[in-house]
Amino acid sequence: MTMETASDESAWIERAQKSDSSAFESLYRLHVDRVYALCLRMTGNTAEAEDCTQEAFIQAWSKLDRFRGDSSFGTWMHRVAVNTVLGRMRKSNRERDRIHAVSDVAPPAESIGDSGGLRDLENAMNELPSGARHVFVLHAVYGYSHEETSDMLGIASGTSKAQLHRARRLLAQQLNLSL
Amino acid sequence: MNRDDQNDIDNQIDYERDPLMLAARQLPQGIAPGRDLWPGIAAGIEEQREAPSRRGAGWNRLFAQAAAVLLLIGGSSGVTWLAMKQDAPAVATEPSAEVLKFQPVAGSFGSQYHLGAEFVEARNSLEARLDEELKRLSPETRAEVEANLNTIRAAIVEINLALANEPDNALLQQLLMNAYRDELAVMSRVDGMASSVMRRNDI
Repeated sequence: MTMETASDESAWIERAQKSDSSAFESLYRLHVDRVYALCLRMTGNTAEAEDCTQEAFIQAWSKLDRFRGDSSFGTWMHRVAVNTVLGRMRKSNRERDRIHAVSDVAPPAESIGDSGGLRDLENAMNELPSGARHVFVLHAVYGYSHEETSDMLGIASGTSKAQLHRARRLLAQQLNLSL
Repeated sequence: MNRDDQNDIDNQIDYERDPLMLAARQLPQGIAPGRDLWPGIAAGIEEQREAPSRRGAGWNRLFAQAAAVLLLIGGSSGVTWLAMKQDAPAVATEPSAEVLKFQPVAGSFGSQYHLGAEFVEARNSLEARLDEELKRLSPETRAEVEANLNTIRAAIVEINLALANEPDNALLQQLLMNAYRDELAVMSRVDGMASSVMRRNDI
């Protein structure tokens, strides 16, 4: 984010907190890709990710007065999005159907060093059990610490580490990597 | 797995060289959704904005109900007074000393029922607030309130006229009494008034 954009963002936040929806739309335009990507990786479903993204921004609008700037707005939005995804998952039993045995998924990729490999990684992540997938997405993809990840997901930090271990083992197995 | 094991696992990862972790960091941080999601968000925001208005409208409706009942009483009294004056119906013409401004048809309402000074005071207070509240209503809501008032006034006229013909009709007396009871109950809810001003036979 450039300095100008950061300055704009602060102004948009201030205006949005005063119920200026056009300013909030600017915030949406600035952050939607990151929020949608997180939702997509956590849910593994484009329609669900779209719904989660919309719900997350609506939730954010209603909670804007609670944003104090302790973290960046992007991080705050990620927290709102994670809560939204988890809340929707709790309401749905569909997640159960997403848990597959690793042996059932696509054949291993030759390499993860090129774009095809990254696509394979995305696909492999999508096949992870939800607990491992959520931790891997937040920690490995978005760089949140185990403390931040566990806080967002409402789990213990040790559980976050254990889920990361599980995710890495399953992904390595799926992508034919030796760790 | 104990805490030490968990820390060991994390410490084993070389984040700078681990192919999985390096690949994960290369993944795009953002992905554009396939469609513009803003219209749905804007609709959700608008819905949230309207929610307090709807709550306000509910309060206005409650207040309007109080107004309706209040005006029902006032309208009833006025129309009854006109009916009495023009047609000299066969109803009691001697208002009770406790009836005060409402001039109820004492005979038709039964000698047991009276409107007390406390009630009148409460009514006047609410009426003053009602005028202010009506001015703040949207045109649509105000029209709805006024239409309701007309309906209620017509109903109370009917009761009073019926009572004029059947002053000892216990059912009609009870209907009017219930209207007053309802009015006090609504007023209590609207204005926080204690319903204790109403006793069984003395309102």
